[in-house]
Amino acid sequence: MATNVEAPMVGKILKIEKNVGDQVEEDEVVVVMEAMKMEIPIVAPTSGVLKEIKVSPGQAVEAGEVLAVIE
Amino acid sequence: MESALISGLQGLLLGVTHLGVGHVIMILIASLLLYLGISKGYEPLLLVPIGFGAILVNIPLAEMMGDDGFLRYFYNAGVRTEVFPLLIFLGIGAMTDFQPLLENPKIILLGAAGQFGIFLTLLLALALGFDKLDAVAVAIIGACDGPTAIYVSSKFAPHLLAAVSVAAYSYMSLVPLIQPPIMRFLTTEKERKIAMGVVREPVSKTTKILFPIVVTIFASILAPKGAPLIGTVMLGNLMKESGVVDRLKRAAENEIANIVTLLLGLCIGATMEADQFLQAQTLLVLGLGFIAISLDTVVGVLFGKLMCLLTAGKINPLIGAAGISAFPMAARVVQVEGQKYNKKNYLLMPAMSANAGGQIGSVIAAAVMLSVLQGMGIVGG
Amino acid sequence: MDTWTFGWTLALIGMAGTMLVLWCLSLLILLLKKLFPYQPEESASPKG
Repeated sequence: MATNVEAPMVGKILKIEKNVGDQVEEDEVVVVMEAMKMEIPIVAPTSGVLKEIKVSPGQAVEAGEVLAVIE
Repeated sequence: MESALISGLQGLLLGVTHLGVGHVIMILIASLLLYLGISKGYEPLLLVPIGFGAILVNIPLAEMMGDDGFLRYFYNAGVRTEVFPLLIFLGIGAMTDFQPLLENPKIILLGAAGQFGIFLTLLLALALGFDKLDAVAVAIIGACDGPTAIYVSSKFAPHLLAAVSVAAYSYMSLVPLIQPPIMRFLTTEKERKIAMGVVREPVSKTTKILFPIVVTIFASILAPKGAPLIGTVMLGNLMKESGVVDRLKRAAENEIANIVTLLLGLCIGATMEADQFLQAQTLLVLGLGFIAISLDTVVGVLFGKLMCLLTAGKINPLIGAAGISAFPMAARVVQVEGQKYNKKNYLLMPAMSANAGGQIGSVIAAAVMLSVLQGMGIVGG
Repeated sequence: MDTWTFGWTLALIGMAGTMLVLWCLSLLILLLKKLFPYQPEESASPKG
Protein backbone atom coordinates (compact mmCIF):
# COMPACT_ATOMS: atom_id res chain seq x y z
CA MET A 1 0.00 0.00 0.00
CA ALA A 2 1.39 3.36 -0.97
CA THR A 3 1.62 6.15 1.57
CA ASN A 4 2.23 9.75 0.70
CA VAL A 5 4.73 11.91 2.51
CA GLU A 6 3.00 15.29 2.51
CA ALA A 7 4.28 18.76 3.17
CA PRO A 8 2.70 19.95 6.43
CA MET A 9 3.04 23.56 5.35
CA VAL A 10 4.01 25.94 2.57
CA GLY A 11 7.75 26.10 2.08
CA LYS A 12 10.79 25.17 0.07
CA ILE A 13 12.57 21.86 -0.25
CA LEU A 14 16.03 22.09 1.25
CA LYS A 15 17.44 18.57 1.17
CA ILE A 16 16.36 15.10 0.18
CA GLU A 17 17.74 12.73 2.81
CA LYS A 18 16.81 9.45 1.12
CA ASN A 19 17.09 7.93 -2.32
CA VAL A 20 14.49 6.10 -4.31
CA GLY A 21 14.65 2.42 -3.36
CA ASP A 22 15.87 3.08 0.20
CA GLN A 23 14.22 1.27 3.06
CA VAL A 24 12.86 3.92 5.43
CA GLU A 25 11.64 3.40 8.95
CA GLU A 26 8.62 5.11 10.41
CA ASP A 27 9.55 8.57 11.74
CA GLU A 28 12.83 8.64 9.81
CA VAL A 29 13.58 11.94 8.10
CA VAL A 30 12.88 11.75 4.37
CA VAL A 31 12.92 15.39 3.30
CA VAL A 32 14.06 18.59 4.96
CA MET A 33 11.91 21.60 4.19
CA GLU A 34 12.59 25.24 4.80
CA ALA A 35 9.74 27.48 5.84
CA MET A 36 9.96 30.89 7.45
CA LYS A 37 13.73 30.73 7.80
CA MET A 38 13.49 27.46 9.64
CA GLU A 39 14.44 23.92 8.82
CA ILE A 40 11.68 21.36 9.22
CA PRO A 41 12.42 17.65 8.95
CA ILE A 42 9.58 15.77 7.32
CA VAL A 43 9.43 12.20 8.59
CA ALA A 44 8.10 9.05 7.03
CA PRO A 45 4.55 8.41 8.22
CA THR A 46 5.14 4.68 7.91
CA SER A 47 7.91 2.15 7.26
CA GLY A 48 8.51 0.91 3.75
CA VAL A 49 10.49 1.35 0.59
CA LEU A 50 10.79 4.82 -0.85
CA LYS A 51 9.13 4.41 -4.23
CA GLU A 52 9.15 7.90 -5.59
CA ILE A 53 10.47 11.34 -4.76
CA LYS A 54 8.33 14.02 -6.34
CA VAL A 55 10.36 17.09 -5.42
CA SER A 56 13.89 18.38 -5.75
CA PRO A 57 15.94 20.78 -3.57
CA GLY A 58 15.02 24.41 -4.09
CA GLN A 59 11.50 23.62 -5.17
CA ALA A 60 8.59 25.50 -3.59
CA VAL A 61 5.78 23.35 -2.23
CA GLU A 62 2.25 23.97 -1.02
CA ALA A 63 0.75 22.66 2.21
CA GLY A 64 -0.50 19.15 1.62
CA GLU A 65 1.58 18.62 -1.52
CA VAL A 66 2.92 15.11 -1.95
CA LEU A 67 6.69 15.08 -1.49
CA ALA A 68 7.39 11.38 -1.77
CA VAL A 69 5.65 8.04 -1.90
CA ILE A 70 6.45 5.11 0.39
CA GLU A 71 5.32 1.60 -0.39
CA MET B 1 66.03 63.27 29.65
CA GLU B 2 65.88 60.65 32.35
CA SER B 3 62.78 62.15 33.98
CA ALA B 4 61.12 62.52 30.59
CA LEU B 5 61.62 58.82 29.98
CA ILE B 6 60.11 57.99 33.34
CA SER B 7 57.05 60.17 32.88
CA GLY B 8 56.61 58.75 29.39
CA LEU B 9 56.67 55.25 30.78
CA GLN B 10 54.24 56.29 33.47
CA GLY B 11 51.81 57.26 30.76
CA LEU B 12 51.84 53.69 29.54
CA LEU B 13 51.35 52.36 33.05
CA LEU B 14 48.51 54.70 33.95
CA GLY B 15 45.94 52.33 32.54
CA VAL B 16 47.27 49.50 34.66
CA THR B 17 47.21 51.57 37.82
CA HIS B 18 43.63 52.64 37.15
CA LEU B 19 42.45 49.12 36.47
CA GLY B 20 39.96 48.26 39.20
CA VAL B 21 38.51 44.95 40.30
CA GLY B 22 35.21 45.99 38.67
CA HIS B 23 36.89 46.47 35.30
CA VAL B 24 38.48 43.06 35.51
CA ILE B 25 35.20 41.38 36.43
CA MET B 26 33.39 43.16 33.61
CA ILE B 27 36.06 42.20 31.10
CA LEU B 28 35.66 38.61 32.25
CA ILE B 29 31.88 38.85 31.86
CA ALA B 30 32.36 40.39 28.42
CA SER B 31 34.71 37.56 27.51
CA LEU B 32 32.07 35.08 28.63
CA LEU B 33 29.55 36.77 26.31
CA LEU B 34 32.06 36.59 23.46
CA TYR B 35 32.69 32.93 24.25
CA LEU B 36 28.95 32.16 24.27
CA GLY B 37 28.51 33.98 20.98
CA ILE B 38 31.55 32.62 19.17
CA SER B 39 31.96 29.10 20.51
CA LYS B 40 28.43 28.23 21.56
CA GLY B 41 26.63 30.10 18.80
CA TYR B 42 24.17 31.82 21.17
CA GLU B 43 22.91 34.90 19.32
CA PRO B 44 26.38 35.65 17.93
CA LEU B 45 25.11 38.62 15.93
CA LEU B 46 24.35 40.33 19.21
CA LEU B 47 26.74 38.83 21.72
CA VAL B 48 29.86 39.54 19.67
CA PRO B 49 29.30 43.31 19.43
CA ILE B 50 27.84 43.46 22.96
CA GLY B 51 30.77 41.57 24.44
CA PHE B 52 33.31 43.66 22.59
CA GLY B 53 31.55 46.89 23.47
CA ALA B 54 31.64 45.81 27.10
CA ILE B 55 35.39 45.24 26.90
CA LEU B 56 35.96 48.63 25.29
CA VAL B 57 33.94 50.52 27.86
CA ASN B 58 35.77 48.90 30.76
CA ILE B 59 39.23 49.91 29.61
CA PRO B 60 40.29 52.47 32.23
CA LEU B 61 40.96 56.01 30.94
CA ALA B 62 39.85 55.19 27.39
CA GLU B 63 36.54 56.95 28.11
CA MET B 64 34.68 55.42 25.24
CA MET B 65 31.42 56.51 26.85
CA GLY B 66 32.82 59.88 27.90
CA ASP B 67 31.39 63.01 26.32
CA ASP B 68 33.68 62.68 23.32
CA GLY B 69 33.85 58.90 23.23
CA PHE B 70 32.93 57.26 19.98
CA LEU B 71 30.59 54.81 21.68
CA ARG B 72 28.81 57.73 23.35
CA TYR B 73 28.33 59.23 19.92
CA PHE B 74 26.55 56.11 18.61
CA TYR B 75 24.61 55.74 21.85
CA ASN B 76 23.29 59.30 21.71
CA ALA B 77 22.50 59.03 18.03
CA GLY B 78 20.69 55.73 18.06
CA VAL B 79 19.77 54.47 21.50
CA ARG B 80 18.79 57.64 23.28
CA THR B 81 16.73 58.67 20.31
CA GLU B 82 15.22 55.14 20.11
CA VAL B 83 16.04 55.09 16.41
CA PHE B 84 18.09 51.87 16.43
CA PRO B 85 15.41 49.53 17.78
CA LEU B 86 12.90 51.11 15.41
CA LEU B 87 15.16 50.45 12.42
CA ILE B 88 15.50 46.85 13.59
CA PHE B 89 11.71 46.66 13.64
CA LEU B 90 11.64 47.79 10.04
CA GLY B 91 13.82 44.82 9.16
CA ILE B 92 11.74 42.42 11.25
CA GLY B 93 8.61 43.58 9.47
CA ALA B 94 10.29 43.04 6.12
CA MET B 95 11.29 39.52 7.15
CA THR B 96 8.06 38.39 8.77
CA ASP B 97 5.42 36.51 6.87
CA PHE B 98 2.11 37.02 8.61
CA GLN B 99 0.41 34.50 6.35
CA PRO B 100 0.02 31.82 9.06
CA LEU B 101 -1.75 34.39 11.19
CA LEU B 102 -3.98 35.58 8.36
CA GLU B 103 -4.92 31.98 7.65
CA ASN B 104 -5.89 31.33 11.24
CA PRO B 105 -6.71 34.68 12.86
CA LYS B 106 -8.39 33.28 16.01
CA ILE B 107 -5.00 32.03 17.13
CA ILE B 108 -3.85 35.65 17.51
CA LEU B 109 -5.42 35.55 21.00
CA LEU B 110 -2.65 33.18 22.07
CA GLY B 111 -0.26 35.92 21.04
CA ALA B 112 -1.94 38.14 23.61
CA ALA B 113 -1.88 35.52 26.37
CA GLY B 114 1.82 35.01 25.69
CA GLN B 115 2.47 38.59 26.79
CA PHE B 116 0.84 38.33 30.19
CA GLY B 117 4.19 37.49 31.74
CA ILE B 118 5.05 41.16 31.17
CA PHE B 119 2.27 42.38 33.40
CA LEU B 120 2.65 39.70 36.07
CA THR B 121 6.37 40.39 36.26
CA LEU B 122 5.61 44.09 36.62
CA LEU B 123 3.79 43.29 39.86
CA LEU B 124 6.66 41.09 41.04
CA ALA B 125 9.23 43.77 40.28
CA LEU B 126 7.18 46.34 42.19
CA ALA B 127 6.93 43.90 45.11
CA LEU B 128 10.72 43.61 45.08
CA GLY B 129 10.98 47.36 45.42
CA PHE B 130 11.82 48.48 41.90
CA ASP B 131 10.76 52.02 41.01
CA LYS B 132 7.69 52.24 38.79
CA LEU B 133 9.48 52.88 35.51
CA ASP B 134 12.32 50.49 36.36
CA ALA B 135 9.71 47.82 36.99
CA VAL B 136 8.20 48.53 33.56
CA ALA B 137 11.61 48.16 31.94
CA VAL B 138 12.27 44.87 33.73
CA ALA B 139 8.80 43.51 32.96
CA ILE B 140 9.18 44.19 29.26
CA ILE B 141 11.71 41.34 29.10
CA GLY B 142 8.51 39.28 29.11
CA ALA B 143 7.79 40.58 25.62
CA CYS B 144 10.54 38.13 24.70
CA ASP B 145 11.47 40.50 21.96
CA GLY B 146 14.87 42.21 21.86
CA PRO B 147 14.03 45.47 20.08
CA THR B 148 10.84 45.98 22.12
CA ALA B 149 12.78 45.50 25.34
CA ILE B 150 15.51 47.88 24.17
CA TYR B 151 12.97 50.45 23.03
CA VAL B 152 11.06 50.48 26.30
CA SER B 153 14.03 50.27 28.65
CA SER B 154 16.04 52.95 26.85
CA LYS B 155 12.97 55.17 27.14
CA PHE B 156 12.20 54.63 30.82
CA ALA B 157 15.25 53.18 32.52
CA PRO B 158 18.42 53.63 30.46
CA HIS B 159 20.53 52.54 33.44
CA LEU B 160 18.93 49.09 33.17
CA LEU B 161 19.31 48.86 29.39
CA ALA B 162 22.27 46.48 29.44
CA ALA B 163 20.78 44.09 31.98
CA VAL B 164 17.38 44.13 30.29
CA SER B 165 18.67 43.55 26.79
CA VAL B 166 21.19 40.90 27.80
CA ALA B 167 18.40 39.13 29.70
CA ALA B 168 15.95 39.47 26.81
CA TYR B 169 18.36 38.10 24.23
CA SER B 170 19.81 35.34 26.37
CA TYR B 171 16.44 34.02 27.49
CA MET B 172 15.19 34.19 23.92
CA SER B 173 17.95 31.84 22.89
CA LEU B 174 17.19 29.69 25.94
CA VAL B 175 13.51 29.38 25.01
CA PRO B 176 14.07 25.79 23.82
CA LEU B 177 15.29 24.92 27.34
CA ILE B 178 12.90 27.07 29.38
CA GLN B 179 9.63 26.15 27.72
CA PRO B 180 9.40 22.34 27.44
CA PRO B 181 9.30 21.53 31.19
CA ILE B 182 6.56 24.11 31.70
CA MET B 183 4.62 22.80 28.72
CA ARG B 184 4.85 19.24 29.99
CA PHE B 185 3.93 20.19 33.52
CA LEU B 186 0.76 22.02 32.50
CA THR B 187 -0.66 19.61 29.94
CA THR B 188 -1.85 16.01 29.98
CA GLU B 189 -0.42 13.47 27.57
CA LYS B 190 -3.82 13.27 25.89
CA GLU B 191 -3.77 17.01 25.23
CA ARG B 192 -0.24 16.88 23.86
CA LYS B 193 -1.31 14.22 21.37
CA ILE B 194 -4.03 16.32 19.77
CA ALA B 195 -3.31 16.55 16.05
CA MET B 196 -4.33 19.75 14.34
CA GLY B 197 -4.00 18.78 10.71
CA VAL B 198 -3.02 20.98 7.80
CA VAL B 199 -4.89 24.25 7.57
CA ARG B 200 -5.22 25.32 3.99
CA GLU B 201 -6.91 28.63 3.74
CA PRO B 202 -5.11 30.73 1.16
CA VAL B 203 -5.07 34.47 1.64
CA SER B 204 -5.41 36.96 -1.20
CA LYS B 205 -2.61 39.32 -2.04
CA THR B 206 -4.93 42.26 -1.41
CA THR B 207 -5.52 41.07 2.15
CA LYS B 208 -1.79 40.66 2.73
CA ILE B 209 -1.12 44.18 1.46
CA LEU B 210 -3.98 45.78 3.37
CA PHE B 211 -3.14 43.96 6.62
CA PRO B 212 -0.12 46.10 7.64
CA ILE B 213 -1.92 49.30 6.71
CA VAL B 214 -5.09 48.43 8.61
CA VAL B 215 -3.17 47.21 11.66
CA THR B 216 -1.11 50.39 11.77
CA ILE B 217 -4.09 52.69 11.58
CA PHE B 218 -6.27 50.72 13.97
CA ALA B 219 -3.70 49.79 16.60
CA SER B 220 -1.93 53.17 16.57
CA ILE B 221 -5.18 55.01 17.13
CA LEU B 222 -5.93 52.80 20.13
CA ALA B 223 -2.39 52.97 21.47
CA PRO B 224 -0.78 56.09 20.00
CA LYS B 225 2.35 55.86 22.12
CA GLY B 226 3.09 52.56 20.42
CA ALA B 227 2.74 53.98 16.94
CA PRO B 228 6.51 54.06 16.30
CA LEU B 229 6.80 50.34 17.11
CA ILE B 230 3.70 49.26 15.21
CA GLY B 231 4.42 51.63 12.35
CA THR B 232 7.96 50.47 11.66
CA VAL B 233 7.11 46.76 11.80
CA MET B 234 4.15 47.25 9.52
CA LEU B 235 5.99 49.52 7.09
CA GLY B 236 8.59 46.79 6.75
CA ASN B 237 5.86 44.25 6.17
CA LEU B 238 4.12 46.45 3.62
CA MET B 239 7.40 46.81 1.72
CA LYS B 240 7.60 43.01 1.64
CA GLU B 241 4.01 42.26 0.72
CA SER B 242 3.49 45.05 -1.80
CA GLY B 243 6.31 43.62 -3.88
CA VAL B 244 6.98 46.94 -5.57
CA VAL B 245 9.87 48.19 -3.44
CA ASP B 246 12.03 45.12 -3.40
CA ARG B 247 15.20 47.22 -3.14
CA LEU B 248 13.98 48.96 0.00
CA LYS B 249 12.74 45.72 1.48
CA ARG B 250 16.10 44.08 0.92
CA ALA B 251 17.90 47.08 2.35
CA ALA B 252 15.69 46.98 5.46
CA GLU B 253 16.26 43.31 6.14
CA ASN B 254 19.93 43.22 5.13
CA GLU B 255 22.05 46.36 5.02
CA ILE B 256 20.07 48.49 7.46
CA ALA B 257 19.40 45.64 9.88
CA ASN B 258 23.07 44.59 9.76
CA ILE B 259 24.46 48.06 10.38
CA VAL B 260 22.00 48.75 13.16
CA THR B 261 22.53 45.35 14.78
CA LEU B 262 26.25 46.06 14.93
CA LEU B 263 25.87 49.56 16.34
CA LEU B 264 23.09 48.59 18.71
CA GLY B 265 25.11 45.69 20.07
CA LEU B 266 28.13 47.92 20.61
CA CYS B 267 25.99 50.49 22.40
CA ILE B 268 24.41 47.92 24.69
CA GLY B 269 27.86 46.61 25.52
CA ALA B 270 28.92 50.18 26.12
CA THR B 271 26.34 50.58 28.88
CA MET B 272 27.96 47.74 30.80
CA GLU B 273 30.32 49.92 32.79
CA ALA B 274 31.54 48.21 35.93
CA ASP B 275 30.03 50.52 38.53
CA GLN B 276 26.68 50.51 36.75
CA PHE B 277 26.42 46.86 35.88
CA LEU B 278 27.99 45.19 38.91
CA GLN B 279 25.05 45.67 41.21
CA ALA B 280 22.67 43.33 42.97
CA GLN B 281 19.94 44.92 40.87
CA THR B 282 21.41 43.39 37.72
CA LEU B 283 21.01 39.91 39.17
CA LEU B 284 17.43 40.75 40.14
CA VAL B 285 16.75 41.90 36.57
CA LEU B 286 18.15 38.67 35.18
CA GLY B 287 16.06 36.63 37.64
CA LEU B 288 12.87 38.54 36.94
CA GLY B 289 13.44 38.25 33.21
CA PHE B 290 13.59 34.50 33.56
CA ILE B 291 10.35 34.53 35.53
CA ALA B 292 8.74 36.82 32.95
CA ILE B 293 9.40 34.44 30.08
CA SER B 294 8.33 31.44 32.15
CA LEU B 295 5.08 33.18 33.07
CA ASP B 296 4.47 33.99 29.39
CA THR B 297 4.67 30.29 28.69
CA VAL B 298 2.46 29.39 31.65
CA VAL B 299 -0.30 31.80 30.67
CA GLY B 300 0.05 30.91 26.99
CA VAL B 301 -0.37 27.19 27.64
CA LEU B 302 -3.23 27.78 30.08
CA PHE B 303 -4.97 29.93 27.49
CA GLY B 304 -4.31 27.16 24.98
CA LYS B 305 -6.08 24.77 27.34
CA LEU B 306 -9.01 27.15 27.54
CA MET B 307 -9.19 27.33 23.74
CA CYS B 308 -8.92 23.53 23.63
CA LEU B 309 -11.91 23.34 25.94
CA LEU B 310 -13.94 25.89 24.00
CA THR B 311 -13.26 24.22 20.65
CA ALA B 312 -14.08 20.76 22.02
CA GLY B 313 -10.51 19.53 21.79
CA LYS B 314 -9.56 20.85 18.35
CA ILE B 315 -6.68 22.98 19.59
CA ASN B 316 -3.56 21.45 21.07
CA PRO B 317 -2.75 23.51 24.17
CA LEU B 318 0.98 23.20 23.44
CA ILE B 319 0.69 25.84 20.72
CA GLY B 320 -0.09 28.32 23.49
CA ALA B 321 3.60 28.27 24.32
CA ALA B 322 4.27 29.72 20.86
CA GLY B 323 2.27 32.81 21.75
CA ILE B 324 5.49 34.53 22.77
CA SER B 325 7.44 36.67 20.39
CA ALA B 326 10.60 34.56 20.15
CA PHE B 327 10.39 33.67 16.50
CA PRO B 328 10.64 31.00 15.31
CA MET B 329 12.18 29.29 18.36
CA ALA B 330 8.90 28.99 20.23
CA ALA B 331 7.11 27.46 17.26
CA ARG B 332 9.99 25.05 16.80
CA VAL B 333 9.78 24.02 20.45
CA VAL B 334 6.07 23.33 20.06
CA GLN B 335 6.68 21.31 16.91
CA VAL B 336 9.37 19.22 18.64
CA GLU B 337 7.35 18.70 21.83
CA GLY B 338 4.19 17.80 19.96
CA GLN B 339 6.06 15.28 17.84
CA LYS B 340 7.48 13.60 20.92
CA TYR B 341 4.04 12.37 21.87
CA ASN B 342 2.53 11.87 18.44
CA LYS B 343 5.13 11.41 15.71
CA LYS B 344 2.77 12.33 12.92
CA ASN B 345 1.68 15.53 14.51
CA TYR B 346 2.90 18.68 12.82
CA LEU B 347 2.00 21.52 15.14
CA LEU B 348 4.35 23.81 13.30
CA MET B 349 1.74 25.55 11.21
CA PRO B 350 -0.66 26.49 14.04
CA ALA B 351 2.33 27.19 16.27
CA MET B 352 3.60 29.60 13.62
CA SER B 353 0.21 31.31 13.66
CA ALA B 354 0.49 31.70 17.41
CA ASN B 355 4.10 32.81 17.08
CA ALA B 356 3.26 35.46 14.49
CA GLY B 357 0.46 36.47 16.84
CA GLY B 358 3.06 36.72 19.58
CA GLN B 359 5.19 39.01 17.44
CA ILE B 360 2.30 41.36 16.93
CA GLY B 361 1.23 40.73 20.52
CA SER B 362 4.52 41.88 22.02
CA VAL B 363 4.45 45.09 20.02
CA ILE B 364 0.80 45.68 20.92
CA ALA B 365 1.44 44.89 24.59
CA ALA B 366 4.28 47.43 24.65
CA ALA B 367 2.11 49.95 22.81
CA VAL B 368 -0.77 49.44 25.24
CA MET B 369 1.63 49.74 28.16
CA LEU B 370 3.11 53.01 26.87
CA SER B 371 -0.34 54.45 26.26
CA VAL B 372 -1.65 53.43 29.68
CA LEU B 373 1.45 55.00 31.27
CA GLN B 374 0.73 58.16 29.36
CA GLY B 375 -2.91 58.04 30.37
CA MET B 376 -1.95 57.70 34.04
CA GLY B 377 0.34 60.66 33.67
CA ILE B 378 3.43 58.64 34.61
CA VAL B 379 5.17 59.67 31.42
CA GLY B 380 4.69 62.84 29.45
CA GLY B 381 2.59 63.01 26.32
CA MET C 1 -0.20 57.49 42.72
CA ASP C 2 0.97 54.76 45.06
CA THR C 3 2.92 51.81 43.79
CA TRP C 4 0.19 49.21 44.04
CA THR C 5 -2.54 51.29 42.43
CA PHE C 6 -0.05 51.88 39.63
CA GLY C 7 0.93 48.23 39.38
CA TRP C 8 -2.53 46.72 39.37
CA THR C 9 -3.96 49.37 37.04
CA LEU C 10 -1.19 48.91 34.51
CA ALA C 11 -1.29 45.13 34.81
CA LEU C 12 -5.07 44.79 34.46
CA ILE C 13 -5.60 47.40 31.75
CA GLY C 14 -2.48 46.14 30.04
CA MET C 15 -3.64 42.54 29.87
CA ALA C 16 -7.24 43.40 29.02
CA GLY C 17 -6.13 46.01 26.49
CA THR C 18 -3.66 43.70 24.75
CA MET C 19 -6.27 40.96 24.55
CA LEU C 20 -8.93 43.37 23.29
CA VAL C 21 -6.73 44.98 20.62
CA LEU C 22 -5.60 41.60 19.32
CA TRP C 23 -9.16 40.28 19.33
CA CYS C 24 -10.26 43.29 17.28
CA LEU C 25 -7.34 42.61 14.94
CA SER C 26 -8.54 39.05 14.42
CA LEU C 27 -11.98 40.41 13.52
CA LEU C 28 -10.35 42.88 11.14
CA ILE C 29 -8.45 40.06 9.48
CA LEU C 30 -11.68 38.08 9.06
CA LEU C 31 -13.32 41.16 7.56
CA LEU C 32 -10.41 41.69 5.15
CA LYS C 33 -10.60 38.08 4.11
CA LYS C 34 -14.34 38.41 3.49
CA LEU C 35 -13.90 41.58 1.45
CA PHE C 36 -10.97 40.29 -0.56
CA PRO C 37 -11.31 36.53 -0.80
CA TYR C 38 -8.54 34.48 -2.33
CA GLN C 39 -8.99 33.71 -5.99
CA PRO C 40 -7.14 30.62 -7.19
CA GLU C 41 -6.15 32.17 -10.51
CA GLU C 42 -4.71 35.24 -8.81
CA SER C 43 -1.12 34.06 -8.80
CA ALA C 44 -1.31 32.69 -12.32
CA SER C 45 -2.73 35.75 -14.08
CA PRO C 46 -2.43 38.99 -12.13
CA LYS C 47 -5.37 40.89 -13.57
CA GLY C 48 -6.71 41.84 -10.13
